[in-house]
Amino acid sequence: METPQYVAARIQRALAEDERTNELGIRVDVRGDQVFLRGQVSCEERRHGIEDVAREAAPGLTVHNEVQLLEVSDPGEEEHL
Amino acid sequence: MRALRIAAVADIHLGEDIRGHYRKKLEGIEHRAEVLLVGGDLTRHGTIEEGQVVADELGDLPIPVVAVLGNHDYHSDADREIAAMLRDAGIIVLDDDAVVIPLDGTRLGVAGGKGFGGGFAGKCASEFGEPETKAFVRHTKEIAERWRHALKNLDADHRVVLSHYSPVKDTLAGEPPEIYPFLGSYLLAEAADAEGADLIVHGHAHLGTEKGMTPGGIRVRNVALPVIGHSYVVYCLDGEGVH
Repeated sequence: METPQYVAARIQRALAEDERTNELGIRVDVRGDQVFLRGQVSCEERRHGIEDVAREAAPGLTVHNEVQLLEVSDPGEEEHL
Repeated sequence: MRALRIAAVADIHLGEDIRGHYRKKLEGIEHRAEVLLVGGDLTRHGTIEEGQVVADELGDLPIPVVAVLGNHDYHSDADREIAAMLRDAGIIVLDDDAVVIPLDGTRLGVAGGKGFGGGFAGKCASEFGEPETKAFVRHTKEIAERWRHALKNLDADHRVVLSHYSPVKDTLAGEPPEIYPFLGSYLLAEAADAEGADLIVHGHAHLGTEKGMTPGGIRVRNVALPVIGHSYVVYCLDGEGVH
């Protein structure tokens, strides 16, 4: 079996470099044949895109997409500087 | 001199797939702030198409908008075109220069640009060795020098530096320390500390922390969307200014 650290590095690189994602802020952890993706993106389409790219970069492994949708609330109280 | 309310955000990463969403979040901004600063990574891939979405979402706001580009906005080698599109939409785009915006009798000066990496004092890259390393470090040095020049000549009541990359480590807390040299450079802070500013606003570090300070005592704020969790934050600069 391929060393998990190299698998994780390959997936992370694919997420950054693949034109479908270009996501630099996704954390990738590999435990045995399980891949865990964590981070935040702005919409469901981007969340799925990340999963697709990760699956292609790690064929045969089970991908768990734990990426969350970024909730942006209205502006809060202003800060006085 | 009176206080100024400044709205700020970065890393909005707009694209066709979320067109219209961010614009809605800006409704009523004129009641909360007098100017909006946007600290780069306006797009995901830096394409012309995404640039158009940004121009549509940030254009025609009731308050002035000042933006810089981020590393994502350079990815498709269309940074100049994107900047031109934004300017056509009435957005002020800084590229290692400065602007003075008169706001009801008070002059707000904003200086800055994309910035770049290299790391922080004591743990940073030097202009030494291979040409690739030298070019990396030189890029940041040249940017910092242009900011220093822009700040030196900036005559305004309040002075703010707008960047994409971080000038300090404080606001990177939460990011893996191994990647700090790709997230910012102390040379940016050094330029601001040398010439003086009231506030430095940046983005880029999605896992970072909002609040920090330069060695010279200038307040630094990381306003990357995932960090602030709000559509933007508002900073109120009091009537004192910095000199």
